[in-house]
Amino acid sequence: MSAPLLTAEEIVVRFGGVVALDGVDFTADARAITGLVGPNGAGKTTLFGILSGLLRPRAGRVSFDGTDITRASPQRRSRLGIARTFQRLELFGEMTVREHLVVAHRVRMRRDRSLLRDLVGLGSRPTLDEDETIAGILELVGLDAVAEQPVILLPLGTGRIVEIARALATAPRIVLLDEPTSGLDVHETEQVASALRAARDDRGVAFVVVEHDVELVLELCEAITVLDFGRVIARGTPSEIRASTDVQTAYLGTRAAEDVAP
Amino acid sequence: MGPYILSGLVLGSISAVSVLGLVLTYSSSRVFNFAHGAMAYFIAVLYWWLTDDQGWSVWPAAIVSVLVVAPLLGLFLWAIVFRRLTHATPVVRFVSTVGLWVAIPALARIIFPIISAGSDVQTRGLGGTPPGQFDVLGVTVNWNQATVIIGAAAVAVGFTILMRFTPLGLMTRAAVDSPRVAAIAGINPSAITAISWMLGTMLAGLAGVLLSPLLGISEIQFTLLLVVSLAAAVLGRMTSIPLAFGGAMAIGMIQGLSEKWESANLGFVEFSLDGFKPSVPFVLMLIALLAYQGLRREQFEVDLRAGPTEEEVAPAARLTGWKAAIGPIAVALVLLSVPIWLNDFWIGVVSQGVALGVLFLTFTVVTGEGGMVSLAQVSLAGIGAFTAAKLATDAEWPVWLALLAGGAVAVPIGLLLAGLTLRLGGLYLALGTLAFSQLLRFTVFGRDDFDNFGSGVAIDRPEFLGIDFSISGGRDNFYYLLVIVFMVAALVVVNLRRSTTGLVLTAMRSSEQAAATTGISILRSKLIAFGTSAFIAGLGGGLFAVSFGRATNVSFEVLVGIVWLAIVVTWGVRSVLGALMAGILYVVVSPPTDKLSFIFVIIVVFAMMGETARLIGSKAIYTARGALLGVGVLAVGITAIVLLLPVEIELSEKAKEVPTLLFGLGAVFLARQPRGVLFDVMNRIRLRQLQRERQLADGATAEAAT
Ligand SMILES: Nc1ncnc2c1ncn2[C@@H]1O[C@H](COP(=O)(O)OP(=O)(O)OP(=O)(O)O)[C@@H](O)[C@H]1O
Ligand SMILES: [Mg+2]
Repeated sequence: MSAPLLTAEEIVVRFGGVVALDGVDFTADARAITGLVGPNGAGKTTLFGILSGLLRPRAGRVSFDGTDITRASPQRRSRLGIARTFQRLELFGEMTVREHLVVAHRVRMRRDRSLLRDLVGLGSRPTLDEDETIAGILELVGLDAVAEQPVILLPLGTGRIVEIARALATAPRIVLLDEPTSGLDVHETEQVASALRAARDDRGVAFVVVEHDVELVLELCEAITVLDFGRVIARGTPSEIRASTDVQTAYLGTRAAEDVAP
Repeated sequence: MGPYILSGLVLGSISAVSVLGLVLTYSSSRVFNFAHGAMAYFIAVLYWWLTDDQGWSVWPAAIVSVLVVAPLLGLFLWAIVFRRLTHATPVVRFVSTVGLWVAIPALARIIFPIISAGSDVQTRGLGGTPPGQFDVLGVTVNWNQATVIIGAAAVAVGFTILMRFTPLGLMTRAAVDSPRVAAIAGINPSAITAISWMLGTMLAGLAGVLLSPLLGISEIQFTLLLVVSLAAAVLGRMTSIPLAFGGAMAIGMIQGLSEKWESANLGFVEFSLDGFKPSVPFVLMLIALLAYQGLRREQFEVDLRAGPTEEEVAPAARLTGWKAAIGPIAVALVLLSVPIWLNDFWIGVVSQGVALGVLFLTFTVVTGEGGMVSLAQVSLAGIGAFTAAKLATDAEWPVWLALLAGGAVAVPIGLLLAGLTLRLGGLYLALGTLAFSQLLRFTVFGRDDFDNFGSGVAIDRPEFLGIDFSISGGRDNFYYLLVIVFMVAALVVVNLRRSTTGLVLTAMRSSEQAAATTGISILRSKLIAFGTSAFIAGLGGGLFAVSFGRATNVSFEVLVGIVWLAIVVTWGVRSVLGALMAGILYVVVSPPTDKLSFIFVIIVVFAMMGETARLIGSKAIYTARGALLGVGVLAVGITAIVLLLPVEIELSEKAKEVPTLLFGLGAVFLARQPRGVLFDVMNRIRLRQLQRERQLADGATAEAAT
């Protein structure tokens, strides 16, 4: 088996007195869907901050495809092929759905570097390649119908899908999804799940999914890491995780009990 | 030495009292109050009115002003303005408090008719009239000075006790550390902020009452008080009360001592310290900002829980084809027809307004597109103006070339400044650019070869392509030239907005985190916005100077720049038309105030037009109806101006304050209604339209079903 695509080792993050991550190791393989689960406040979002470069760790290393990126900026990581979505939506409030993809695509194609052309009015024309790429992504995630809508008029669930589409428009090798299905209905959840599988199969994109819907994670992911209070308490395949007693007590246990109760 | 130390101690004590209030209100509500000095002014005027006009003795007057009226004023302002600002965008926050800064003194002069705008009066001090004197270590101290020092010490002690040992202090500190946690823990942050605004206003008022017997009540003194407080707050990193208190003392001491060495003779060079004393706060502020920046180890780290930096407005679909051209063509026709319906004098005034409109596009780019509050634009305009004037008059370059050179020279200076201060972000950017502008004013623009004893450097009107744009060639030619330059500049700004760079800036304004992880370089994007805006500022500054015939120091004062920004934001910082309106309004209203009694009407009309401009800029009225409404408002506005321009009524002293007051209130209004009234009206129209369409669709499906 080849080396993992994205690796974090012994990550430590503190916020004032709170130790949000305490020596966390994490890996994600290329072309795979990796799950990251844990109760509220476990440190999942913080780990995404470290992987995407928005936060710097106190200690530890992050590497991508064999190169050390611990000190790389978010911009550089995006260029290398790491994209992400946000738990609390971070959409570009004044843009339409299509514009989200356009800006991501153009930055990727370095079309944001020609100020003079922009000033004389030649900087807003789409290219053929751009139109095709964007149409492809819109179709993949099922946003064609709302492409020209301003995002702030869209429901929360659709907003989450727009974030996924924006991430895909940067031509990433791995996408970090922070609770992509919270606020989505059953139908939309199914749509997201199939879009992820399609993106992985057709484009070879890897995903890391933070999710509270445990059944979905067990069904979707090849490998799962479980965090609790800033530490990794388990890691393995879905069946191994299902069997782990640690995980059951820390996390799944309560859920399972709730499920059984009624 | 002794008297200078005493004077420094007294100055320091007054600003230390003041800065406590500033830091307290900032900590509890994250609103940096540029109206702090104005509040002090209001209370000082009240104190003067009570003692001088109403014949109260000093202590009851001081107690009523500081302990009763000041907290009520604070509570009132909190309820109508500050409360709404905590969640507003940085630009709105800034402009709203600047609006209060302008409006409150005007209000004070309307309520208390004993004082007029330019006056400088000495009040009776708490130390008796004339104050008694005593000697300490061979220095004569009068009781007014002693009261100040004792007062500051008492405030420091009282404040420490309050913060350390009372529930209020605990709650304030908790709310500062984490508003969310405080809310969960059942503390009501809104009660805390209300109390902190009452206390903050009390401290401002106390500083005012202590200051007025020593330095007099004049707006200049109170602006200086604000400036020293700003600098001290920066030294205290905005939230540290002991550091800010000490910082204010230090600034006072340095200023006091600098009086001893008015001019220093270092043997071979003799240099004047004239500009030194006023620069002290800014030098310290700049040093502190840069030093704190160095202390920040992380280059790019954001609180992942932070919200968007810009208020979000739903854009409507853009008009395409011929409809898109209606708005700009209408504006162009109106502008080009001006010489038909105005006389020579007014063409001259409007010319200056259009030149200023070009200059104001700098705010459209840096604040509207870039989302940054920069107070250096006025200095960049000054650099452009002086460069152009020197090149054209002294070096005899063609005027048009000198103007372009003025714009070009502003760019590297703007970029350097941005590079130094951008990483600080938000409020610190505003304060850093403020310090830069002040220093430039004291060290460069104030020099004799620029200032020329107030008369500045002359610059002629251009002549090229065989057309004479000078006054002898008729005012119309120059006016048309300015309109064309404005159109071109506006087109460039619109191009920028619609281009990839514009998209990138829009993304960055909405969410820096999402922009960064999408691969957008935040620093680079901001530098692009800053550099472009610097060129426009330089060019516009030059044109403004040409329209006056000379580049003068006073046209590019920092305070003038702050007022400019506030006007532009009030009329619509996202819209090129807003910049033009703001430019014309500014020149129409500002210079001959006492002659123009219809100012009131004009302000109202322009407010309407400004709202229209904002609408067009916000893409929200790219519907046939919206465009029609815009044209309608414009037509009404022009008719009103044409009818009212010849009317001249003498203004009473009080009435002269009304435009200032209205202008200030206009900016404050932003806090309550950041998108403007017409925007909401338009939105409602749009929503109704959507509903109707939906009903029709429903009806159709229902029919199909039956
Ligand atoms: N910027 C911050 N400042 C201070 N504390 C923070 C910050 N961000 C996160 N924390 C704290 O760090 C811990 C981990 O938070 P994190 O958001 O990573 O958890 P999470 O696993 O994503 O939880 P959830 O399932 O609720 O999203 C929590 O205790 C949180 O309060
Ligand atoms: Mg989270």
